[in-house]
Amino acid sequence: MRVLVVEDDRKTAGFISKALKTEGCAVDVLHDGDEAFLAMMGTPFDVVVLDIMLKGRDGLSVLRQARMRGNHTPVLLLSARGEVNERVEGLKAGADDYLSKPFALEELVARVETLCRRGTDSRSGLVHVADLTLDTGLRKAQRGGRTIELTSREYRLLEFLMRSPGRICTRMMIFEKVWDYHFDPGSNIIDVYIRKLREKIDEGFPAKLLHSVRGVGYILKEEA
Amino acid sequence: MRLRNRLISRYLIVTGVGLLLLVALAYHEFVHVPQLLRDLGIEESSFKKFDARAEVILTAISPLVLVLGTLLILRSLSPIGQLAEGVERFNAENLTERLPRTQNGDEVDRLAASFNKMADRLENSFKQVREFTLHASHELKTPLTVMRAEMETALRDADGLKPDQREWIHSQIDELERLAKLVDGLTLLAKADAGQIRLDRNPVPLKELMTECYDDTLVLAQPAHITVELRDCQDAVVLGDRHRLRQMLLNLADNAVKHNSQGGHIVMALRKWEKMAEIEMTNTGPGIPAKLQGRIFERFVRGAQDVEGSGLGLAICQWIVREHGGNIQVESRADGKTSFTIIMPLAG
Repeated sequence: MRVLVVEDDRKTAGFISKALKTEGCAVDVLHDGDEAFLAMMGTPFDVVVLDIMLKGRDGLSVLRQARMRGNHTPVLLLSARGEVNERVEGLKAGADDYLSKPFALEELVARVETLCRRGTDSRSGLVHVADLTLDTGLRKAQRGGRTIELTSREYRLLEFLMRSPGRICTRMMIFEKVWDYHFDPGSNIIDVYIRKLREKIDEGFPAKLLHSVRGVGYILKEEA
Repeated sequence: MRLRNRLISRYLIVTGVGLLLLVALAYHEFVHVPQLLRDLGIEESSFKKFDARAEVILTAISPLVLVLGTLLILRSLSPIGQLAEGVERFNAENLTERLPRTQNGDEVDRLAASFNKMADRLENSFKQVREFTLHASHELKTPLTVMRAEMETALRDADGLKPDQREWIHSQIDELERLAKLVDGLTLLAKADAGQIRLDRNPVPLKELMTECYDDTLVLAQPAHITVELRDCQDAVVLGDRHRLRQMLLNLADNAVKHNSQGGHIVMALRKWEKMAEIEMTNTGPGIPAKLQGRIFERFVRGAQDVEGSGLGLAICQWIVREHGGNIQVESRADGKTSFTIIMPLAG
């Protein structure tokens, strides 16, 4: 996977690139908007991490121009302003995801991975993780032949986790996809729902599937 | 308008007494004096020449004098009334209000001038505080990102860390996360103060939001065995920002659970009054101390210190309600029962 990181704060850029490299990505780092535009047009990256505030051209205009020239590389926008309006503006300009500072490295890595895998995920009716099965057509979950009763919110939460097996789903990602909040509403509601979901899918089974990643989020996987 | 009433009553007393004296004098002149002259044997024809016209006219126009005088008093008091209204309109939410100047140099104009100068200074310092908060919270974000990244990197690449060292780093990250949330909340409020946030305005069916919030509250309340009841849920549509309204409801519900006792109860209701929607959120919790009740929507004012929270949640709720032209109030009774009531105008 080849990722371009465009971030004018060198320290932040350094940490992002280091974290992505540990995940096995090849990372190019740039600090300037004009250079970033040329790089995006000249090199086929899998994902571009683009800060909005840049020297030269700002991130949003880099993005708009790239999209106008037919470039469709998935872009994750970073911003220190963190306004809902700005998020909407970014998505309109063609961004695929948006993250406001200060963010957790794990959050950024999780989002970059999601962008990389986009399009390769199957949207078929049956999703499996170990012996847990989700039928998205009938909206039913089963584990080890036992049917699990879910409320509609629990179902959406489980579906979201099962669509990214083995990958961290951060709390913010869950808020966005399951609750449709684009900012932290300041509640521990996700943790309470996860506890309930854990009771339903893991209780009575020796192999636990739903795991917490401290300070970051949750992950659905077979224990290693 | 007690000043007006006082002045007018005094004016009426003084002028009334004057008029009474005038009447007494006239009586003396036209009734008493001629009688005296007649008694002295002086012929009537010789003093009939007294001209009574001035007194008659004066007595006739005296009611007119009273009315005119009153009007003049009202007129000269009206600038003071305007002054008072202007000063009343001036507050932290409306710092741009200035008093009208007559430029005639009288005391009222001088008062207006000095008030305007004071308002300038106040507006300026409020602006400075707001800008400072905005800049400060913005400037804090990059170092926070870097600090957090350093901690996470330390966790990532050091397999050789001892368990207590890992625990230490985790706890640092938790604190950074809290700090980041605090900075987010402060930025939001600073921007709201500066009028820099545009909210979406679309018709929002509150019933749908309330039902969703009720479902979430049931789940939030379960671990503490708190029962939740949705008493009324009428159709009510307001013009507003769906996400912000949901945030507000979840925040209030979250509070109702956190500030509640084990096995407590929560009542939620959505009602319609003429052109208003009313949302109620009541819990049986330990309640808000009386001395804090008037200040609970202020920033960093917290009811219970042992309950986790930033101290900004209710300030944000109040901002959201006010942005929708509404009002939020709290009532906490001696038995601990605490109600938050929101009133906001319906759409259309």
